[in-house]
Amino acid sequence: MSEIRVENLSKAYASGRLALTSASFKYEGSGAIGYLGPNGAGKTTTLKLLTGLLRPSAGASYLNGVNVIQDRKHALEDVGCVIESPEPYPSQTVEEAIEMVSDFRGGPYRSLAHDIADLNVKLELPPLKSKTGRLSKGQRQRVVIAASLIRDPRVLILDEPTSGLDPKERILIRNLLNDLKKDHLILMSSHLMQEVTDICDQVIFINQGQILLRDTVENVATRFQARAVDVEFATPIVLDRIRAIGPLVQDAVVIGERRYRLTFDGSNSSRAEILTGLVKLGPVLSYQSASLVLEDAYLALMGGEPAPVAGAPAPGLHLPPPPA
Amino acid sequence: METRHLPTDFEQWWTAFRHQFKFYLHTSRFLALLLLVLIATGAVIGVTIWRGGGIGSGVAYVSGFLGLFGLFGILIGAFMGGDALAIDFGGGTGYFTLVLPVRRSVLLLGRYVAAFVASAVLIGVFYGGVVLGSLYHYHTPSTIVPGVPLVESLLLALLYACGILSVAFFFSSFFRSPSVSIVATVLILIFGLNVADAIVGSLGYTPYYSINYAENVLVSVLGAPRSPLSTSPTISVETGALIFLAYFVIFLAASLVFYHFKESKG
Repeated sequence: MSEIRVENLSKAYASGRLALTSASFKYEGSGAIGYLGPNGAGKTTTLKLLTGLLRPSAGASYLNGVNVIQDRKHALEDVGCVIESPEPYPSQTVEEAIEMVSDFRGGPYRSLAHDIADLNVKLELPPLKSKTGRLSKGQRQRVVIAASLIRDPRVLILDEPTSGLDPKERILIRNLLNDLKKDHLILMSSHLMQEVTDICDQVIFINQGQILLRDTVENVATRFQARAVDVEFATPIVLDRIRAIGPLVQDAVVIGERRYRLTFDGSNSSRAEILTGLVKLGPVLSYQSASLVLEDAYLALMGGEPAPVAGAPAPGLHLPPPPA
Repeated sequence: METRHLPTDFEQWWTAFRHQFKFYLHTSRFLALLLLVLIATGAVIGVTIWRGGGIGSGVAYVSGFLGLFGLFGILIGAFMGGDALAIDFGGGTGYFTLVLPVRRSVLLLGRYVAAFVASAVLIGVFYGGVVLGSLYHYHTPSTIVPGVPLVESLLLALLYACGILSVAFFFSSFFRSPSVSIVATVLILIFGLNVADAIVGSLGYTPYYSINYAENVLVSVLGAPRSPLSTSPTISVETGALIFLAYFVIFLAASLVFYHFKESKG
């Protein structure tokens, strides 16, 4: 069974700076895990420790049950990685670069052309005979993603896989990862909340080398329940009338021609009462949580605004309690 | 559906060798070094033809020709091995190769042998030039001027290349920047060692630690009579070969250790 396991993993640099402090997590089977945190939080350090690019100061990491430091070759046997900004030899063609990875991983040579053709369709690769040194950043990124997928490894470790890609390319990768996560285990770091929301089933939040929260996206959404709702009316409504619904509405702003965002305390009872008030103002076409749940959680955990719930402990140190 | 099997270390060594050798062939450095060797050997042959006579015996001619080799050997070794490992830490190439299921020692040895083969091709061209010049001047049907042990010299030159490559790989495993690694190899071998040799020599000691000193065996083995003005030392084949071998083993082992433990921090 596919497995990514980290046990009390720590990394201190010679300068004394602690890049990672006693991180532990374990995932098995299939699915996608988002690894979130600001720059310098320890995301890439964790992924490098997981793949043997760095050596831990303490603790251990395992891929498919094999200790990465003790037996790197077998630990990485069934693992595809995109860490930092990988670059094939600039003189290699796209085809040669993917072939090289395939040769190191092993597999039936006669199916290689078919596998590359398959990846070419999925990732819209640049011409296979073009030199990788002459590709744009986005093209090169698609080539290294293709190389990470050749021979179909069961575990994928991706460090901001859509970095440097244009919106069309991002959609391509997002769709591919959504397809892959059905029978692969994917750990991906990202800065893009929407990307993590769209792809991942679970999330890990990390800051200053410490894991702050690990949970399913659904639970995080519940825990950091949206304190904002978006409402769309059939006809424009004067903003003051919305604000006049009552004290439950803390604020209201216009976000579209007939669309408004209301902030409130986040509880389900308030949410229901506000809807009752809104319906009295005019026909409501839609009423839903503002789609920023992970972003709210991120900001709360990393010490930004807004705070998770009124009266919650200091952000970044403790988790807010689930709403009643 | 066919199952995938992880290749053996030997299979992966072969993969590393093939791709590194292709890298040398595809990059301009191999062509540039080949051009340099061709120009140098061509110039020597051209000048001796232009002078007409007075080139002395066959062994003296070959000895003079091979006097050029030391510098070429260092340049070839530095450019073939100087960035072979540093490339994994100075840019993004390491993030492409070092996350693959292959031992670093296997990668290193594949690249080392590729560098050696590429160097051997260039050395072969150089010695080919020596043979061509000899054929022109001495009209011998043999590829070797009679009485000149050129094959022994060539074998020693290949062993010398192994030593130089090990030094280059050592610096390559030590530095993060490929260009710094190449420059350090050239500077230390051309200037550093020569200065040290001169100091040690002036104190009346023999610089047995120096691969530059040992390089004189490539000419010594020919058995050419020494000019009274010659400053190059005569060195026995055994001593020269031993020094080359020591450089080959010690620096290669050191680069294996450094490369194995080196971290991708950039």
